Amino acid sequence: MKRSILYTILVAVMICTAPPLVAAAKVGQAAPDFTATASNGKTFRLYDYRGKYVVLEWHNNGCPYVGKHYKSGNMQRLQKQWTGRSVVWFTIISSGPGRQGYVTASEENAYLVKMQAAPTAALLDPTGELGHLYDAKTSPQMVVINPQGVVIYDGAIDDKPTTDLNDITGATNYVTLALEQAMAGKQVDMPATRPYGCSVKYPGSTH
Amino acid sequence: MKGCKSSRRFSSALAFLVALLLCAAGAQASGSPIPHGTLELIAENKWIAIGHPFYLGLHFQLERGWHIYWVNPGDSGEPPRVTWKLPAGLNPGVIEWPAPRRLGTSSIVDFGYEDAVTLIVPVRAELSLAAQPLARLGAEIKVLVCREICIPGKAQLSLTLPIKSRPPAPDARTRELFAGARKDLPQPAPNWKFSVDDAKDSFVLGANVAPQITQAIFFPLAEAQIDNSAPQNLQPLAGGFRLTLRKSDRLLKPIERLKGVLVLCGNQAYLIDVPVSRRVAQKNNSSSGIHEIQSSREGPQK
Repeated sequence: MKRSILYTILVAVMICTAPPLVAAAKVGQAAPDFTATASNGKTFRLYDYRGKYVVLEWHNNGCPYVGKHYKSGNMQRLQKQWTGRSVVWFTIISSGPGRQGYVTASEENAYLVKMQAAPTAALLDPTGELGHLYDAKTSPQMVVINPQGVVIYDGAIDDKPTTDLNDITGATNYVTLALEQAMAGKQVDMPATRPYGCSVKYPGSTH
Repeated sequence: MKGCKSSRRFSSALAFLVALLLCAAGAQASGSPIPHGTLELIAENKWIAIGHPFYLGLHFQLERGWHIYWVNPGDSGEPPRVTWKLPAGLNPGVIEWPAPRRLGTSSIVDFGYEDAVTLIVPVRAELSLAAQPLARLGAEIKVLVCREICIPGKAQLSLTLPIKSRPPAPDARTRELFAGARKDLPQPAPNWKFSVDDAKDSFVLGANVAPQITQAIFFPLAEAQIDNSAPQNLQPLAGGFRLTLRKSDRLLKPIERLKGVLVLCGNQAYLIDVPVSRRVAQKNNSSSGIHEIQSSREGPQK
């Protein structure tokens, strides 16, 4: 019994003192760089967009929370509105091959056309590396990065964590709030919220 | 309470047996369909007794592998929501949530229920109620049911019960379900001393308890306070234990209290609500229990 207590303490100490495996993104800190291939075949690197606001949108076309924002046209509206104001918008798909929400490049391209989606690009992340780098938990989780490369928002798309299309009207959109406040030189009121939605279907995860 | 014993195997075998018996009875298994399961509105008593509070229940039966969520769903998902449609004079309270389970093992961890769960709700039956042979109780439920994918479901449930001025009588058909639900409700913590230290990247929950605890899991009632997927490191101590809970990256402000459900030994659930003390702020104020022993051992902080 004593031995098991010692062992528990040892393990606890080891876990406490071990550095995190990856430096995950955190609000108020530098957004970690990444390079990813988009469904259009082009390669995008985050650091190439210093000087611009960047929005990251975790996506899964079978998730009802994502569906709420695409069926209503809300997400496409946001994409058009903000890319129209020089914001870079990356839709990111971190489902592993064989897992729900995984798409090939051509499937994603067809989806973008069908939904009239307008991100700067849809980044394919079948290894989940990019998702883990930002510790993305859900679709649609949203991250906003400022022109200095600092994460200024990480969390839910809005304040109505439901799948109900009727809840879009009257919701406070946190991405819009963060971008508008930051562009006006103000502090972002809500820099971090619980990112509601479906869990990201990482390769190797069971959930 | 004694130390942790492995009684889960027995209780799950018992639950299985009860389920079999219920199946065999065949009756009352008539729930409304929800995605990958059924949902039934049940009452604890045979009739509503004017002036006597009683319980209604929402009994979920899910297909293997599917789950629904606790009041704090964790990293993803959302809890079931109910809109009551009750006759005037019946006033429902809030759902009394049984202790949840951790769902998922990777970087995403949710809190919820698999297989079957009964969510019970207290209802006041006011003196202004009029007796009637068949009162219709209705509930509209929105529920998210998930396995790998999530499917939102909706159900319109109803139940007819007489309203009488006689004292209530329990309904034998639902007795097991209500008893099972109550068994899993978190209890007020016994007369133990708890403390919570705000220690930079984590909260350290200290408990001054007599029995030896070898298994403890904390479920926070508020979202985005602790990192749901982080391992919770249990450190048994003489006369208690400490449980280290990594903070959520999304927790940007200090919190005053840590509220949640502490499950010991896998099946003993306690409701706790503990003020958070910050090490920097604590000079000569006396917090209690384990923590006090610990900080005096550690000596002055630098």
